[in-house]
Amino acid sequence: MEILSFLAHGLTVALTPTNLGLAVFGCVAGTIVGALPGLGPVNGVAILIPLAFTLGLDPASALILLACVYYGTMYGGRISSIMLNIPGDEPAMMTCLDGYPMARKGKAAEALAISAVASFVGATLSTIGLTLFAPLLVKVAIHFGPAEYFALYVLAFATIGGVTGANPAKTLMAAAFGLALGTVGLDPVSGTARYTFGIFHLFDGFHPIVAIVGLFAISEILVYLEHAHGTHPGAVAVHRAYARLSDLAKAGGAMVRGSLIGFVSGVLPGAGASLGSFLAYAMEKRVSDKQGSFGHGDPRGVAAPEAGNNAAAGGALIPMLSLGVPGSGTTAVLLALLISLNITPGPLLFQKQPDVVWGLIASLYIANVVLLLLNVPLVGLFTRLLTLPMWLLLPTVVMVSFVGVYSINHSTFDLLVMVGFGVLGYLLRKLDIPLVPIVLGLLLGAEMENNYRRALSISGGDASILFDSTIAVSLYAATAALLAIAVVSAIRRHRRR
Amino acid sequence: MSDRLTGLLIAALAIWYGWTANNFEEGFGDPVGPSAFPKLLAVPMGLFALYLVIRPDADPDWPRGNPLIRQGVMLAALVVYPLILEPLGFPLATALAIFIMAVLLRGTRRAAGVAAVAISLGLFVTFDQILGLHLPMLPSLQ
Amino acid sequence: MFLTKLGRAVGLAAVALPLMAFTPENTECIAPANPGGGWDFTCRTVGKLLVEEKLLANPMQVTNMPGGVGAVAFANVAGKRSDDPNLIVAASTVGITQIAQNKYPAGVDTMRWVAMLGADVGIVMVNKESEIKDLKTLLEMLKKDPTSVVAGGSSGVGGWDHLRLLLLAKKAGMPTDDLKKIRWVQYSGGSDAVTQLMGKHIGVVLTDIGEIAGFLESGDVRPLATMSDERLPAFKDLPTAKEQGYDVTGYNWRGFYMPGKVSDEQYQAWVDMLGKLYKSDAWQQEATAKGLTLIWRGGKEFDGFVRQSEADMRDVSKAIGVIK
Repeated sequence: MEILSFLAHGLTVALTPTNLGLAVFGCVAGTIVGALPGLGPVNGVAILIPLAFTLGLDPASALILLACVYYGTMYGGRISSIMLNIPGDEPAMMTCLDGYPMARKGKAAEALAISAVASFVGATLSTIGLTLFAPLLVKVAIHFGPAEYFALYVLAFATIGGVTGANPAKTLMAAAFGLALGTVGLDPVSGTARYTFGIFHLFDGFHPIVAIVGLFAISEILVYLEHAHGTHPGAVAVHRAYARLSDLAKAGGAMVRGSLIGFVSGVLPGAGASLGSFLAYAMEKRVSDKQGSFGHGDPRGVAAPEAGNNAAAGGALIPMLSLGVPGSGTTAVLLALLISLNITPGPLLFQKQPDVVWGLIASLYIANVVLLLLNVPLVGLFTRLLTLPMWLLLPTVVMVSFVGVYSINHSTFDLLVMVGFGVLGYLLRKLDIPLVPIVLGLLLGAEMENNYRRALSISGGDASILFDSTIAVSLYAATAALLAIAVVSAIRRHRRR
Repeated sequence: MSDRLTGLLIAALAIWYGWTANNFEEGFGDPVGPSAFPKLLAVPMGLFALYLVIRPDADPDWPRGNPLIRQGVMLAALVVYPLILEPLGFPLATALAIFIMAVLLRGTRRAAGVAAVAISLGLFVTFDQILGLHLPMLPSLQ
Repeated sequence: MFLTKLGRAVGLAAVALPLMAFTPENTECIAPANPGGGWDFTCRTVGKLLVEEKLLANPMQVTNMPGGVGAVAFANVAGKRSDDPNLIVAASTVGITQIAQNKYPAGVDTMRWVAMLGADVGIVMVNKESEIKDLKTLLEMLKKDPTSVVAGGSSGVGGWDHLRLLLLAKKAGMPTDDLKKIRWVQYSGGSDAVTQLMGKHIGVVLTDIGEIAGFLESGDVRPLATMSDERLPAFKDLPTAKEQGYDVTGYNWRGFYMPGKVSDEQYQAWVDMLGKLYKSDAWQQEATAKGLTLIWRGGKEFDGFVRQSEADMRDVSKAIGVIK
């Protein structure tokens, strides 16, 4: 009851005309920034921080603006995934797998609508979770030490084999390759330079955005040129501009499951939205893919990762607000914003500044509703994008990618690395080696290694520490069970033939 | 054949990757060290690559002729762009790059030219002026 | 009016005319880390206050350039922007430690050290349920068995958090060979380390007080000692290491460097501007609220201080065995 009165108070603060106007502006700006390849939530929030100061907004309004941008970028990331097979940001990568095939079948509008609703469900469920359980979840998150995190990453990589439709050997090889790419740079523990060839630009390793934009966007243009004579795979027909309610209902279960998995990943600092959307997709495929329709445009394959990604975005606010630990790049930027507003996240934030916390939570609810109301009617507009001729659309997308990547470090070296990844991506696509495991390895590899080494630093080199907790052992048991199911079903499929 | 070649290349990469790890300096009082994880990774990377050599999939259709030439020119444009971005400034370099790409993608020259100018200026205004991501503007006068 | 316009035109033509007062424009502050940490805070707070105090006309742009504990930004500034007079870079003891251990591409001479505006202080903490009640118990336990307590903080092995713990252990009379045996776990931030302390994954944390002050107020951890000369005004009940018989201090100053090839006028303009900011009430309030100790060193004095601390740090690292 107390919570409801806090929330009601937060809503009265948030629901002034000025704040609603800011919310709409933030949602639109966030969606656009999120949809542009190379520009993600980190840019969106970082770009708008100075704006909040220039406008002289009070803390409550600044928070509303930024919360809307934050959720908006999470909504927007899926648009280019579905329309162009180019993820707008890291977590939207999984949406490509079924979203783009749906678009190629002429179901772009459905994919966009389902993903908008899934985003809404994921974000709303996780905001409710944040409202009700934040203090409790913090206690759970604290039990995750290095050994438990390592077990979680093992689970993620063990499920990767079944996620992409490709040859499992190729998938696993790609995952190992991605993890190897993640070791490039200065080793955080000892400061040793690894695989940098003395190039200073590589000391911070490969930036995941540089790799994603290269692998997906730059390779796309090379694929397109190959088919420039006949019908090309980029051309997408739009049959209908509305989604059927029955389609949405069918994907309902996927949305709820995806939200749960995403939320949990978000709560654990260091796992975050990318792992959330990946695990949501992987689990959904295990649970529902009876006909092998995943990867060929199954609406549930769009709903699950989108719900997961947005739920993780909400979940990640829990450790950020109550521990001051940013679980991802975006929450780190939000943390910087809170600090510059003289709000110090930490264990006392909920007691000391309840108006701020509940104002923020109320603005998240508002952001969600506004985003849903904006995104569903905008579907038609986004699909119109694809009627642009390719000679106009593709160069524009490539240039936006260049700007996005250039804005990270103001380094033209990054642009060359991105082109390198583009060529690599093209070759791998031709060879049917999946790109998702590479990016996932690059995204999670550093933390996987760090936690492995932290665990062994604690034990002084004794590897038994990795199996020394109930949580870790349960995670390994889940991994083993999933692998066993995969093997059994593979054998059955083999026999049937 | 393509898969075999890829497998061999990646297997070689894995060996080099694991081997190089031997040279990493151990940290002060660090039980695992910076070389353990790379060595651990080199093994599955190499094994899966070798599996690919033994059981390859069918060859993809590699491009040849005209598409291959177009891809080559496109790649050249993509590599040159980062190199001229700072010396020539964003609007000029971008207009050039868009023009070349649009022509390669079979836009007419006139349309490509108009689009190149409009898009590069549009992007510059949007990102540099409105969003505040600083981009190099004019050719440097040095 | 006409004269200033003329002056600007001449200034542009001749790059920098001596005797002409330099005013930074289109300023930029590089935070050599991701948002959220100390360097980011330094850039953002100083940038914000410079505008609010009307010392700068336009907002300062903050660029995050993480990597190699500041090495990436250092290399970038040295290589590409060595004469940019409108650029400052956040710096601290942490970076100097890296330079002293040869982990940057070049030495302190490469840059011009502008000023420091305050200092964070190291603090030793244990879990609130720990049997360790004071610094002495902790250090005696470590002396008897270096592996009895696992320590962690926000720096890697040999970094400033780790070094400060080793300095304490050394002061307690631990043999140099044993220092290496103390188990050290690196986390990406002070809050991360404290969270792991609360989950009992590690036994003691040494890091800067500023980032984790909230955990002290909430009582989630038990502080054992601060590494300051005197007790901190914001935490009067907290004893220093010195009081408990270990005469070691561990400050982490917060300040800026500039590219090495800027002129004396340009350098001095920044020193003066930051000096004015240091004296403002706004900075004094903001810094104290974040647990910083107010200390000013600027210009030549600061440059000398940085060189001296780099030399000291090199000696310490050698004595402890972090570098050869």
